[in-house]
Amino acid sequence: MSTPTNEEIFAKICELLIPYNPKNKIITMQSGIVTDLEVDSTAVFDLIMGIEDFYDISIPMELVSDIKTIGELVSAVKRLISEG
Amino acid sequence: MDIFDKFSTLKSRSDIVKKLGVDPFGVKFDKITHATRGMIGNREIVLAGTNNYLGLTFDPDCMDASIEAIKKHGTGTTGSRIANGSYEEHIDLENALAKHTGMKSAIIFSTGFQTNLTAIATLAGPDDVLFIDADSHACIVDGARLSAASTIRFRHNSPENLDKRLSRQGEIENGIALVVIEGLYSMFGDKAPIKDFVKVCKKHGAYLFVDEAHSYGIYGSTGCGLAEEEGVLDQVDFISGTFSKSLASIGGFCLSKHEGFEITRKAMRAYMFTASPTPSNVASARAALEKIKSRPELRENLIARAEQIHKGLSDLGFELCADPSPIIAVRRPNEVIAATEWNWLMENGVYVNLAVPPGTPQSSSLLRISLSAAHTKEDIHIILGKFAQMQEKSDALIAKAMEVIAAQ
Repeated sequence: MSTPTNEEIFAKICELLIPYNPKNKIITMQSGIVTDLEVDSTAVFDLIMGIEDFYDISIPMELVSDIKTIGELVSAVKRLISEG
Repeated sequence: MDIFDKFSTLKSRSDIVKKLGVDPFGVKFDKITHATRGMIGNREIVLAGTNNYLGLTFDPDCMDASIEAIKKHGTGTTGSRIANGSYEEHIDLENALAKHTGMKSAIIFSTGFQTNLTAIATLAGPDDVLFIDADSHACIVDGARLSAASTIRFRHNSPENLDKRLSRQGEIENGIALVVIEGLYSMFGDKAPIKDFVKVCKKHGAYLFVDEAHSYGIYGSTGCGLAEEEGVLDQVDFISGTFSKSLASIGGFCLSKHEGFEITRKAMRAYMFTASPTPSNVASARAALEKIKSRPELRENLIARAEQIHKGLSDLGFELCADPSPIIAVRRPNEVIAATEWNWLMENGVYVNLAVPPGTPQSSSLLRISLSAAHTKEDIHIILGKFAQMQEKSDALIAKAMEVIAAQ
């Protein structure tokens, strides 16, 4: 797979976030995953797993703890895909 | 800024639940009279949420063993085994557990949580990679966090997903892969396909660690757990478990088929720097182990009761999270409804566990039942009867829950 753009990864994450965003909060690159979007810690890991399966990457747990915003998640995914 | 500000969301949730009646996470029993009965004031409660799987907490032999150990050695060990020495009972229990399971090395700990926490944190070094099930218990997750190893989660109970992730990882330079799964998962009561996990681990040369906290003493022809039931006990590298469930005490154990495990006794910090299990705890666990070996009928009764209640609840139309096992999780629509129903059951003489996110898979809200070999058919009728009545009152209970939510 060629490395997707930030915009493509962002769009995919928004799609995967739907089940965890029942209040339909507006998602931006600056949105805090737990703080703004109110995704609980278990759900964050479920979301991560969906991203991992889609892009065929593994995002180690210790990396997930450092990701606070959607923008940081997009960057981490892009980096892992390119390291693929 | 107040030091407790960070708990404000948790506090609001806790306050809502408290408004529904008794705090489900702060229940006080005045007396436990039997493995399946407790008293709150003058009310007798049927206990269906204790993890007392074999019902041995009041077994006369286990109680006598505990009392004798106190008379012989006193109430506490007052120190760690590394710094203050072992008692013969510690070593005897380790030998007995190794012999029971056919493992070469056994180490016991002061709690089950501590067992996984320190064993996983120590076994996985900085160059290793940990692969843990997505629904792992908090002590496994915390053990992974505490370890210096990189940690990757795989889809719950999916050997295929583990295979994919191990393949993606490729060769680990100067390190190993350690896969951690549980036998029976504590929230949904679903079983791991251990045999398939063994195959995947063999294919990739990964070590396999199985936590049998909820399955040791319950499954397998001699009660060694689900790995024994699946015929792969001798192919699992590490087995951990607890004394606080089928063994009716408190403490934990980690066993290995590798003699090399013995050295970790001098590396596991939560073993080295914690007071060792008390004489009474070790003695009753040792006596309970003999019951596991000599009384298979306990396991048989437990499984029969699990099937009885699983069928009864299914017939009533409740959504259950897994096939019959000593843990039966009843899925509820949300945590406020679940807490309202939990309170109704408690007021009407049945104690189950309320389990809510983030402690549950799939952010589920559950009424969790754990069964005991000491439950009779009649006890199950009582529990089922109360669930049926609760269901009849569903509209009123949901209305009550909605009122509390609306008042927020």
